[in-house]
Amino acid sequence: MKKLQILLTVVVAGVLVLSACQPSGGGKVTIIIGVTDQIASLDPADAYATHDWELIKNTGEGLLVWKPGSADELVPGLATGMPEVSEDGLTYTLTLKDGIKFGDGLELTAPMFAAQLNRLLTIGPSCPNDVADALAIPYVESITAPDDSTLVFQLKAPIGYFPQVLATAPYLPSHPDKFPLEECVLFPEAPIYGVGPWFISQYTQNEQLVLEPNPYYTGERTPQVDQIIIRYFSDPQTLSLAVQNGEIDIAWRFLDPELIDQLRGVSDLTVGDIAGGFIRYLIINHTLPPMDDPNVVKAFAATIDRDAIVDTVYKGAATPLYSMNPPGFLGASDAFDTMYQSPDITAANEFLAASGYDENNKCAIELWYPPDHYGAATAAWMELIKQQLEAANFTVELKAQEWSTYATALTGGESYQAGVLGWFYDYPDPSNYMDPFVYNGGLGTNVALAAVGSDYGEPINDKAQQLVDLLTQADVETDIAARTALYEQAQEIYADLVVTVPIIILAEHITYRPNIHGSDAYGAVETLNIATNLEFNYSTLTKTP
Amino acid sequence: MLLYVFIRGSMGLRRYILTRIGLTLPMIFILASLVFFIMRVLPGDPVRSALGPRGTAEQVEHMRQTLGLDKPLIVQYGIFLKDIITLNFGNSMVGGHRPIIDEMSERFPATIELIVPASALALSIGIIGGAVAASKRKAVADYSLRVYSVVIYSLPIFWFGLMLQLLFGIQLNLLPVAGRIDPIVRTTLHPVTNLYVIDSLISGNWPALWSAIQHLVLPTVTLGLILSGVFVRMTRINVIETLQADYIAAARARGIRERVVVYGHALKNAMIPVITLIGLQVAILLAGAVLTETIFNWPGMGGYLVQRISTRDYTAVQSVIAMFALLVALISLAVDMIYSLLDPRVRY
Repeated sequence: MKKLQILLTVVVAGVLVLSACQPSGGGKVTIIIGVTDQIASLDPADAYATHDWELIKNTGEGLLVWKPGSADELVPGLATGMPEVSEDGLTYTLTLKDGIKFGDGLELTAPMFAAQLNRLLTIGPSCPNDVADALAIPYVESITAPDDSTLVFQLKAPIGYFPQVLATAPYLPSHPDKFPLEECVLFPEAPIYGVGPWFISQYTQNEQLVLEPNPYYTGERTPQVDQIIIRYFSDPQTLSLAVQNGEIDIAWRFLDPELIDQLRGVSDLTVGDIAGGFIRYLIINHTLPPMDDPNVVKAFAATIDRDAIVDTVYKGAATPLYSMNPPGFLGASDAFDTMYQSPDITAANEFLAASGYDENNKCAIELWYPPDHYGAATAAWMELIKQQLEAANFTVELKAQEWSTYATALTGGESYQAGVLGWFYDYPDPSNYMDPFVYNGGLGTNVALAAVGSDYGEPINDKAQQLVDLLTQADVETDIAARTALYEQAQEIYADLVVTVPIIILAEHITYRPNIHGSDAYGAVETLNIATNLEFNYSTLTKTP
Repeated sequence: MLLYVFIRGSMGLRRYILTRIGLTLPMIFILASLVFFIMRVLPGDPVRSALGPRGTAEQVEHMRQTLGLDKPLIVQYGIFLKDIITLNFGNSMVGGHRPIIDEMSERFPATIELIVPASALALSIGIIGGAVAASKRKAVADYSLRVYSVVIYSLPIFWFGLMLQLLFGIQLNLLPVAGRIDPIVRTTLHPVTNLYVIDSLISGNWPALWSAIQHLVLPTVTLGLILSGVFVRMTRINVIETLQADYIAAARARGIRERVVVYGHALKNAMIPVITLIGLQVAILLAGAVLTETIFNWPGMGGYLVQRISTRDYTAVQSVIAMFALLVALISLAVDMIYSLLDPRVRY
């Protein structure tokens, strides 16, 4: 018994000693950010994931950048000013600032920049994540540097939103030693230097990534702390516990609505809500009966009660969405609300009656969703939508399908009448929220049937033709007021056609400890200067002892 | 150890070892083949899963060719078998498309670092607890340990882990709830083996050693306690049976102290079935590690397997399962060797 007592004493003493041994940061001020994302690629010519872009943008800087804390203020970054655009809208010319250096002291020149950017056009399409085919190949004909400080982008066609595209991660300069011209390098060895405020000094896959200040950085986003560590989590629950007990300073993407709800009740934590760009919507195949009937899709749109979904399923952690073009974006409107004032069951039944459906002859539809892809909440709100539709003269069969099979069939316009999808922009512009659902098959909406050799496909009726025309005009229009007017019109026709049914815009959340602060010099201080474009500038963060 | 036993053992023992190895290889082959075909029968396409709705037909086709998924199934199977034999597991099909061998070499040590102390804890509690229960049969200690073994074994591991996290991590703030080491300390550690306890010892990095041990406590206790229940019961039954043997009665008659009889004679002989159980428990241990790693954000093979199943990463899933199968087979083989040494009857 005595031996047992001694053993227990040793164990308890050991635990106390271990718990007293707090790590020292070697005098460095370090902020630890927890995420459930993973790194897929660090090569700007390849990366196409939100977290990868966040790292690339913190270690690099674009010719144009979004002002921290703002989603609508595009300002010069590496460029001396905004681009000069030729009269035909095909040539964009920018001048580089002097003295831009990578973290190892290498100076960035325009020819070097052009050569690195041309990787997008040469090797980009063969890289695994293939961002080039989305954001470079369709737009850019060539990138040249006539002298040491001038960059010229020659476009294939005029694009009104090209400045927004220029602010995306693929257009940031990469270090020529780490990212050679002839191959994409997804995971170069650390240290990885960019021309931005930070460089990657260490990283271990799935565990952590360490950022330290770039000593040669002369831009406006000067780091305020000595070190940022991104810590990778596989489970949101553990991420939530880690911020509660102080193992991490900030819990960033993603925490489930239930966990966010719990964290709001923890006294020394702040939960910042960002009405981010992630949307959820219902996609409708306009060539499959009964969804090929305009009255049926209008009745469908008139039935949806978005407030009930937000309140019941998301407990306020989402916002009703009444246009595919989300609030805060150019020309955003509430077109679906104005047109249908949903839920309006009477109006829905009138639409249905016009096509011969009534209480005795209900309109039967199938509604599909992928239970394994958008989280557990999806099944809950699809069930709610089923109930809402069945309050009108619809009968709904809910069907679940594994994600990859689902995505192939739904977006291929093959066999699903309607189903749920999510979307997040590549560049913050209404074109990225509307064009993909209209042009060339529209990701399964079929309002313009995919046609070989056509950029836009074959619109299925006059209204669809009108919508295609408006969107193509808006794509090339550079005058902001004129573009706004075009998108306002386009959203009305979009709602009238019910191309898709926007449902909600999800709120992103950032949870942080009381000694972490954003910068008062920029907007959105409560959310650590993260605006609705979800750009997280680590440089604005400070930590008090 | 296997080699030592093989060289020093008798002809009968050598024959036995060769037979066991001969049976192990087909077992791994059958398991690997099953995983290969099951992954392809299941609904889901890794290419579409990776590219999502925005992937164009050209991108899908390009990715299929890159991954070799455009080849006939039988050709893919042939390549898979060749890769397994040459230990070239290929590249991951999703995310960064990194070589599987690199991903496993980062994660496998983490799993080893978790399951070794967890097994040690389970065995220590199981054997000592079982022996105590047997020696105090029908006393309070016996009843308590029997209840403990049933209750602990039936607890859901994710619930038990979460409770420990909430108690020791959040309420008492004594121990960390996630990861293998403090992130700041990790920046000072330069791994050689990727076993952080060993690496910090090699480099004399004491803060890293403390941090690694602190981070090991909760996951080890979670996994170790859950597994200890079955060892308590198994040891108890076997010690009780052994205590009824004639030679135990003879020992008692000679006036040998009860403690020596139980722990010196009976326990040793009762260990043979328990050793067999250790081999069988390895698979359960790995399954438990999958959950424990997820709960404690332990970047090991279990978490990796779960992540890759959800993305239909065929190559990664096949490789991890093959690796697990190999591990289970090798440990079973080692256990059989020990068993054959302890009890020569099994060889003949």
